[in-house]
Amino acid sequence: MASLVRSWIPLLILQSFLVAVAFGSKEAEQFSEALLLKPLPDRKVLAHFHFENRAPPSNSHGRHHHLFPKAISQLVQKFRVKEMELSFTQGRWNHEHWGGFDPLSSMNAKPVGVELWAVFDVPQSQVDTSWKNLTHALSGLFCASINFLESSTSYAAPTWGFGTNSDKLRYGSLPREAVCTENLTPWLKLLPCRDKDGISALMNRPSVYRGFYHSQRLHLSTVESGQEGLGSGIVLEQTLTVVLQPETTSVETNMQPSWSLSSLFGRKVVGSCVLAKSSNVYLQLEGRLGHESKNVDTEIEAHKLWKNADFDLSLKPDRVLRESSGLLFIFDIDKSSDSEPFDLGLNWKLPSKWSCQQAPLQASRFLMGSGNERGAIAILLKATESQEKLPGRELTDGRCTIKANIFQIFPWYIKVYYHTLQIFVDQQQKTDSEVLKKINVSPSTDKVSSGMLEMMLELPCEVKSAAISIEYDKGFLHIDEYPPDANQGFDIPSALISFPSHHASLDFQEELSKSPLLSSFKEKSLVRSYTEVLLVPLTTPDFSMPYNVITITCTIFALYFGSLLNVLRRRIGEEERFLKSQGKKTGGVKQLLLRLTAKIRGRPIEAPSSESPAAESSFLSTKLIFKIILIAGAAAAWQYFSTDK
Amino acid sequence: MLADDMACNARNEYPAQVFNNENHKLNLYGDNVEVDYRGYEVTVENFLRVLTGRHENAVPRSKRLLSDEGSHILLYMTGHGGDEFLKFQDAEELQSHDLADAVKQMKEKRRFKELMIMVDTCQAATLFNQLQSPGVLAIGSSLKGENSYSHHLDSDVGVSVVDRFTYYTLAFFERLNIYDNASLNSLFRSYDPKLLMSTAYYRTDLYQPHLAEVPVTNFFGSVMETIHTDSVYKAFSSKTSNNKINSEMPVNQLSEHDELQKANIPNDELKTEKQKCPYTQMRVDLHEKLEKFENVDTVVNLGIAVMVFVVMISSSLL
Repeated sequence: MASLVRSWIPLLILQSFLVAVAFGSKEAEQFSEALLLKPLPDRKVLAHFHFENRAPPSNSHGRHHHLFPKAISQLVQKFRVKEMELSFTQGRWNHEHWGGFDPLSSMNAKPVGVELWAVFDVPQSQVDTSWKNLTHALSGLFCASINFLESSTSYAAPTWGFGTNSDKLRYGSLPREAVCTENLTPWLKLLPCRDKDGISALMNRPSVYRGFYHSQRLHLSTVESGQEGLGSGIVLEQTLTVVLQPETTSVETNMQPSWSLSSLFGRKVVGSCVLAKSSNVYLQLEGRLGHESKNVDTEIEAHKLWKNADFDLSLKPDRVLRESSGLLFIFDIDKSSDSEPFDLGLNWKLPSKWSCQQAPLQASRFLMGSGNERGAIAILLKATESQEKLPGRELTDGRCTIKANIFQIFPWYIKVYYHTLQIFVDQQQKTDSEVLKKINVSPSTDKVSSGMLEMMLELPCEVKSAAISIEYDKGFLHIDEYPPDANQGFDIPSALISFPSHHASLDFQEELSKSPLLSSFKEKSLVRSYTEVLLVPLTTPDFSMPYNVITITCTIFALYFGSLLNVLRRRIGEEERFLKSQGKKTGGVKQLLLRLTAKIRGRPIEAPSSESPAAESSFLSTKLIFKIILIAGAAAAWQYFSTDK
Repeated sequence: MLADDMACNARNEYPAQVFNNENHKLNLYGDNVEVDYRGYEVTVENFLRVLTGRHENAVPRSKRLLSDEGSHILLYMTGHGGDEFLKFQDAEELQSHDLADAVKQMKEKRRFKELMIMVDTCQAATLFNQLQSPGVLAIGSSLKGENSYSHHLDSDVGVSVVDRFTYYTLAFFERLNIYDNASLNSLFRSYDPKLLMSTAYYRTDLYQPHLAEVPVTNFFGSVMETIHTDSVYKAFSSKTSNNKINSEMPVNQLSEHDELQKANIPNDELKTEKQKCPYTQMRVDLHEKLEKFENVDTVVNLGIAVMVFVVMISSSLL
């Protein structure tokens, strides 16, 4: 009996060991989708689609792709990308009304056009080549002209000003790039369910592109496995942020418009993506105060949260979470199907007003100066109302300060004079050392590289406004560097203002490690905002100049050579003198003159002046005739000999 | 290749939608559209690179024309054009001899078996005047001296939505059903000069098969020939490839169709027929004559002596 037991125990141990090994090594790929809806104070609705796909570490040559897109893992493997973000945006994020302090706006308020940044894991000398090849590969993958970022005039290498501290980081932006269906389609094809099932089936293209702001973003980061022989895991996060205006029939302007998924997108959710681990719809309402400390145990209390005097939800939420300034309703769409489509609607009954929390300083950028030669760029930082209430204000030397990082790229044709940098705090000029704590400047080289400026400012907490201005000269472009069609000017890409001492995070008190969207909100992310893109008109070349040059040159040549030849050859009164000498008797001076002219002409002095010309002429004519006959004979002989067959 | 962004243009009342008709029934810019070259990337240089296959190393596969000697290619071009040129992007032109040279290169490198060029611009037929490579079929919407017109104006969107030639081409295809075996001949005969307000001229001297025997699906859309086999790999006889295209799009499209027999390309060396220039003829004959002489040196010396003699005589006469 004891021996049997003893033989079982090692078997059990062995089995449990095997099971543990199996569970431990086989991390599966995970995919989850989420949709966050949020009514905005200015009668618009924000829809944020979030798709996260995780690939576990595996052997680099032996990765099997079930859910994770092969194109992305091949990209990471080939170019050795450590972290990358690519965004396609149209529209401007309205920081005043839509907020600037929450993680959603910090991560999703992107500059117009295409923005790409990437951190590589290759030796420093190969980073530029990897960047170039990456831009080409991405342009093929997303049907966009991202390959215009390959030339060194269009990207920069930021250091600390960007938020990611690495010397293998490259950043480029194309403000003029169009965004349309052909960019969204390959982005959707990276999802396991494409756009056929689940939340991504809501994306009706006309509705998405009708929005006030739409931005599709792809962020990938590698997770080191720490083990030898295993490649790194990849986390791919795809988000699409759309701000839409629901159609309203009511005329009152202080009532928020009621909307539903079918009125916004024209479609309903019919079932979740079966490959998704979790598939949820969230509705976030901000500014719902007054329910903080109440307990939601009783049914009636819970019911009041989503059906009350202010508003009405058309479906019952599965869960309700509360945060310091808002409510979050969670809906699980696993249960929905063709027969019971999920169509969430929000019906407002009373006018409500609220405001979204903004970043401590609101940034705007504009151009100063006029003319085609020079100008100045100014950035204005204005304090917002929510400045005092924000956490994260630091105490430096006993004073309270706000730190702001400014990162800008200047194309080479904007030749910035960095010594003209001026900083004004509350409309008083400050010397640089008071406010400017760190600065990193990379001057531009004509037609080779663009200029980059990174600054860290330390402003007092009570600051009302701060302004930075810098002067520049406009460069001259070659004629084929102008775009082929009529244009208003050239773009200076957006500047990035970030606040390193402030961190935006939304912490819904419940422990929800299952939802990637909420856990990404929980992470402390840097508060950042992008300024506007500036349009700079450059001088156009004077296309009539070639004509002018040719005309002037030819005139000068004509005048010069004409007068020179006239001076050399023309003798005034030559003919009259000759005729006179013919008819006159040979007088002394005249004969001298005759002889002189005859010598100049190179003819022998003719004593019998009347006869010899005639004889000469006849002799001339016979010689001429003989010459002609000779040449004609030679030509005939040539012809005869050559055409003889 | 789309030079301008029409669908998501800020002035488009119907974002992400492009219609071919006033009734807005058919959205050409569907959900799965793919545009490889757009905006300022549409240049004559890139177009010729795509045709001839001379790309930089970094250019991805989706931006290359990956065709081989069994491919059927459809090349559709529309826009503004004129006598022997097509306008690209307000700044440059594609000339007929450039196109002919590119096609000749493609033929040399065996990048197509049959190529169909469809051009819808003013004086479109002049664009393929210089073509000489066999296996090329070309149709243009108007002759030299004629304009091509748009079909109708959509007052809602504010622009004319489709050209006449394209409209009638689409109308022809809309009439077909999946089992029709329409031939290219019926397509080409369907163009009525009175309706088009121009003459749709096509050129078949470089194309060997009879148009009445060539189905339209050779170029528009593709027909897969699937052969079921039990074994896993079998050599070459059952290759299938499928590329379903949307033929109404004003983009360059390609359609691949692998044939069972190898492509039979006649090796034609174009006889350069020099005209009878007497001077050239003389030189050629003289060259031949000189080659016949055994001792060329004496001839040369004799020639020099004659020349010197002539020079002496003419100078003494002066």
